[in-house]
Amino acid sequence: MILQRGHRVVAAFLLSVVLLTTACTPKAPGRFDQAQKESTQQQKGQAVAKTATQGSEFNKLFPKASDGYQRVYTQEKKGFAEAKLKKGGKDIALLSISDTTSNSSAAAKFSKSTKKIGGYPAVEVGKTQTAILVGKYQVKILSRDSSFTASDRADWLEKFNLNGLAKLK
Amino acid sequence: MSKSIVDLVDQLPTGGLTISMLKSLDFVAPGEWQNTVGFVNTIKTVTGEDDEDLIQQIGERAIYLFNDKSQGYQTALWLYQTVDGTDKALGAAALANKVGEKIPLLGFLNSVTPKPDKAQTIDLTLKLVAELVAFCQINGIPGDSIGDFVASLGEYSGESLIRMVALVCVDGLIPLGPDFISKAISGLNQTNPQELEKNSTFQNIKDVIPGNNAGSKLNFIGESFDSVKGWMNKLVSANNLTPQKVVGNLQNFVDIADDKLDYLAAFLDVATNYYEHTGTQTLARRLIERAVAEI
Repeated sequence: MILQRGHRVVAAFLLSVVLLTTACTPKAPGRFDQAQKESTQQQKGQAVAKTATQGSEFNKLFPKASDGYQRVYTQEKKGFAEAKLKKGGKDIALLSISDTTSNSSAAAKFSKSTKKIGGYPAVEVGKTQTAILVGKYQVKILSRDSSFTASDRADWLEKFNLNGLAKLK
Repeated sequence: MSKSIVDLVDQLPTGGLTISMLKSLDFVAPGEWQNTVGFVNTIKTVTGEDDEDLIQQIGERAIYLFNDKSQGYQTALWLYQTVDGTDKALGAAALANKVGEKIPLLGFLNSVTPKPDKAQTIDLTLKLVAELVAFCQINGIPGDSIGDFVASLGEYSGESLIRMVALVCVDGLIPLGPDFISKAISGLNQTNPQELEKNSTFQNIKDVIPGNNAGSKLNFIGESFDSVKGWMNKLVSANNLTPQKVVGNLQNFVDIADDKLDYLAAFLDVATNYYEHTGTQTLARRLIERAVAEI
């Protein structure tokens, strides 16, 4: 009986040690903790707006591939469509159209734009990206090979059916 | 979903049986697969960007997209985890003291039981259907687009390609032999819906397989497998793949006699989780590709 109680005491002691050490182990806050918390607290549907345009509407506005280029569609979701641009079997660039309704900061960055491509405000992002804003839609090209330069990106942005996109609701 | 996408990618292992096995299959797709792990590292690798502010924006958008259940990314991950979700206790035991040295399989023969051919066939074909459904969920096309899936198989690269290579080698060639494709087709033809219902993996994932009942789901599984047999045949013949050739490469990390291949298949089944591992990598890549385009 005493022995049994002894066991219990030991067990209780060990349990409290475990609880204390796990509770007190300092965990440095991660740089993505805030986004993780916010995005899981809300109800589903928070990442993509209900009113966002279907990706299939975007697909038909992508540039046609020619001159040895190949266009391969990769993702088609509500508010987003993307295709790879290939040459000689190699990935050269990614082409995309997205609806900024879901992600307002994407549209906001164009307010600082100082240049235009195809008549629309344009920005360069990072080392590999050029984007334009057509109404509420962002058209972006990302280089996937160093041979595909910023001026190639500007050329290909103009090959999208931008008038068609501007008319899209 | 209990774990965040950040934790899932951060905690992907850099060593162990799964990694050894995938590396040993490199001879089929040389240089295709690098074991990219870590969330920030994956962002850098996929996008080629190193600006911390940009990485932060990409990461946050990817987290939002993943946590939005309507976007299908969580379903895809769950599929990859579920078709791989056999008992891993044996694998853990094998790994405990064996990382970096060869594992003699002899000692494990008592604890692994080879599955009969029919169960192995169902396993193989269900994994393929899971790939198809996950592909559709990730890329946003309707869940029964066999044609779209087959067309994009030719575009598979990196971790997606090595996953399919492992499927052919580890779940096809080793357990079922060199004529695994025809064996699987005839095995499926001899399977009735009641037998399929008894399979635990099927029980877990049946809700996401197109079809109103076990019979029509069985038909869909058959159609899916039939439509990729050309691709698999090509992979086998282009590399002269045989069970012996595959085992010869696996022998870098596991010792096994040629007449015990069904045991090797059973062992790899419980000791590795290549579907979950590479599936997580595929998912992270696609999320990041979308996030960087959207920000």
